Amino acid sequence: MSSDVRFTDFKSDKQPTWCPGCGDFGTMNGMMKGLAETGNDPDNTFVVAGIGCSGKIGTYMHSYALHGVHGRALPVGTGVKMARPDLEVMVAGGDGDGYSIGAGHFVHAVRRNVDMTYVVMDNRIYGLTKGQASPTSRSDFETSTTPEGPKQPPVNPLALALASGASFIAQSFSSDALRHQEIIQEAIEHDGFGFVNVFSPCVTFNDVDTYDYFRDSLADLEEEGHDPTDYEAAKEVILDGEKEYQGVMYQDENSVPYHEQHGVTEDMSDIPDGAPEDAMDLVREFY
Amino acid sequence: MAEDLNWAIGGEAGDGIDSTGKIFAQALSRAGRHVFTSKDFASRIRGGYTAYKIRTSVDDVQSVVDRLDILVALTQRTIDENLDELHEGSAVIYDGERSWEADVPDEVTAVDVPLKSLAEDAGGAIMRNVVALGAACEITGFDVGYLDESLEKRFGGKGSKIVENNKDAARLGQEYVQENYDLSHLGYDLETTDNDYVLLNGDEAIGMGALAAGCRFYAGYPITPATNVMEYLTGRIEEYGGHVVQAEDELSAINMALGGARAGARSMTATSGPGIDLMTETFGLVATSETPLVIVDVMRSGPSTGMPTKQEQGDLNMTLYGGHGEIPRFVVAPTTIAECFWKTVEAFNYAEKYQTPVYVVSDLALAVTEQTFPPEAFDMDEVEIDRGKLVDEDEVDEWLDAQDRFRAHAVTDDGISPRAIPGTTDGAHMSTGLEHDELGRRTEDEGERVRQVDKRNRKVETAKNEENWDYREFGDPDADNLVISWGSNEGALVEALDYLEEDGIDVRVISVPYIFPRPDLTGEIEAADETIVVECNATGQFADVIEHDVLTRVKRINKYTGVRFKADELATEITDKLSEEVPAQ
Repeated sequence: MSSDVRFTDFKSDKQPTWCPGCGDFGTMNGMMKGLAETGNDPDNTFVVAGIGCSGKIGTYMHSYALHGVHGRALPVGTGVKMARPDLEVMVAGGDGDGYSIGAGHFVHAVRRNVDMTYVVMDNRIYGLTKGQASPTSRSDFETSTTPEGPKQPPVNPLALALASGASFIAQSFSSDALRHQEIIQEAIEHDGFGFVNVFSPCVTFNDVDTYDYFRDSLADLEEEGHDPTDYEAAKEVILDGEKEYQGVMYQDENSVPYHEQHGVTEDMSDIPDGAPEDAMDLVREFY
Repeated sequence: MAEDLNWAIGGEAGDGIDSTGKIFAQALSRAGRHVFTSKDFASRIRGGYTAYKIRTSVDDVQSVVDRLDILVALTQRTIDENLDELHEGSAVIYDGERSWEADVPDEVTAVDVPLKSLAEDAGGAIMRNVVALGAACEITGFDVGYLDESLEKRFGGKGSKIVENNKDAARLGQEYVQENYDLSHLGYDLETTDNDYVLLNGDEAIGMGALAAGCRFYAGYPITPATNVMEYLTGRIEEYGGHVVQAEDELSAINMALGGARAGARSMTATSGPGIDLMTETFGLVATSETPLVIVDVMRSGPSTGMPTKQEQGDLNMTLYGGHGEIPRFVVAPTTIAECFWKTVEAFNYAEKYQTPVYVVSDLALAVTEQTFPPEAFDMDEVEIDRGKLVDEDEVDEWLDAQDRFRAHAVTDDGISPRAIPGTTDGAHMSTGLEHDELGRRTEDEGERVRQVDKRNRKVETAKNEENWDYREFGDPDADNLVISWGSNEGALVEALDYLEEDGIDVRVISVPYIFPRPDLTGEIEAADETIVVECNATGQFADVIEHDVLTRVKRINKYTGVRFKADELATEITDKLSEEVPAQ
């Protein structure tokens, strides 16, 4: 069905239970459109999701999918891609899922450069547990568990990715539909780990990092003439404490994805009916 | 019983104890002798007492005994640690030139061989252990030609010069003893046979079983004593188009393996107790998402970090009950090194047929012990692969609902749903750790919840009826005394039967390789006057489940020193236990 796939083919008939106005609607639309535009279909696509509002995405999309445990979506996606390099793998999670409980996996998935797309729906708050501080919450952001703010600097996921040797780092804003979709597409097309941090506002619990805030403050790297292949320039925009950007910050043009580095090219689901023909050689090794 | 020879080399970790022992074990195996090895090691890389012990016989040997005939002692501590096992016929090989005089008991023969200087004569001090092997060959009357073969195998990859130097080192050791000692009074003259044997340990057997069964993806994190499974697969699995990844932790390892399994590859992870703890959350997800996955737990002493290099069978309850909620699972437990192979093969079939996680529960005693087997013990023609209800594009159609959606969690009579792997046309579906409906979508509907729980549990009922959850049996089938065992105790128990028979005690031994589902032993226990359950843990976890199944109290023999059972020790314990009062009902 690949030639005439429309983005709605990636949509399930389950109505999202996200709050009206949630940024995740736009984030998901961009993902579905990005997948369709890059020539994928639900039968060759595997979507992995973690826990939280973002984790529900597997239910609202239609593809092969696993909704796993908190923070571990990246290892699942890694396993899928290693076993089946022929599949398009997309991993979705939130800022808590990816940068708190799953931070360790994030660093290692980045450095492995597994050829998959990682979309983090970053709303700078824990929504599903009703409004606690997340690792990307501002240090003075008052919540039910941090009445005076977390009093610690937020994680900079882009910098974390850069320091871990990322081959593709981008940021988008879910309500800027076209730019968001373009960026997702670039991440899908990237040979290696395509990381996109998506500002996906929480309209219920976060009254600071709002649509208006991002609309007013986000600078677009494309408009600013940023060259994503320039590592030094990437470092500058990623570590810029003053401004927030959307666009592709960094892309390593020479990126070789994990499966190619390791010669993992076969479809591992295909195995013989019995032991391999030369299996007795395995025994004879022990003579 | 034919005459055994018990040989050991001991010293500090880092002295090459392990590789020296392995070289000698392989030489004995090539000479057509049965070999059973055991290791004493500490959890450190250098320093600390380490020993490699070999028991060898022309008859089958399946356990260790409290006896040492030839000891290569690189330190005084090696002698001190083994004092109880030395006897009148023992010889201790040591290097008096290295400014120490071995303090050996009066009745033991000390054989002073200048290991280091002879090694230097052969080309390098590093070969001093091989000089000792040459000396051991001379003392035991063992044909040094087999040692040469073993050295070729070990060092062949490093060039002929190294091989020749090692052979020279062995010769110098042999000649030195010949010229300086008359040890004929010890009376050793090792027989050789034409038998072909292979020599391998339990971790290697698990790895080999995985390859034979079509495992293509392995993710793991290094942990003693399971790491050898990963090391075995690395470099070999690629030849079959597979891949091993060293994950960043156990949480990642099981999730990667889960990903590989959902993508359709036969996938596995292996760890030890502390790793199982970390994997337990995902274990529940594996079961709920109905993903076929093999998880190997090579047990060591717990809890917590416990004694990483010591034996225990303490994880039975963990694998049987671990995880929140109620999780359908299978738990198989190999009883010998050869069974490590076969149970791993079975595990992959159960995993795919029933779409469940399957624990293969091994232990340190199996993992680090090397034992000889005829190659037919691993007859690859016997390996069967059953992928269960894996459906193709045409079969998918049968499982589409009114809206043309694939029901990956369809409620069926046998509890098993069709499985479409990614890429199968119209098979796209999601699975989740949340309670879900037949389509894999979240639900909290009471009816759906009950239907899905029942469906998953029904798989276990189906398997109980369809598979042969049998046991292995030894000794006198009509004996009044019944001994039940699981895991690695089987070998020692089988040999203990010989000792018991000498004392006129008839025993029936049942060795159970299945923890869940497991055979119903009600009839066997009712037919016996006395039942004893033998296991390496403090509380008798298997005895508990047996009592629960049969509603009868059993006697227990438990060992939790960190050391495996020995045959002679078990015989004594069984004799003592038989004369004890039966515990109160």
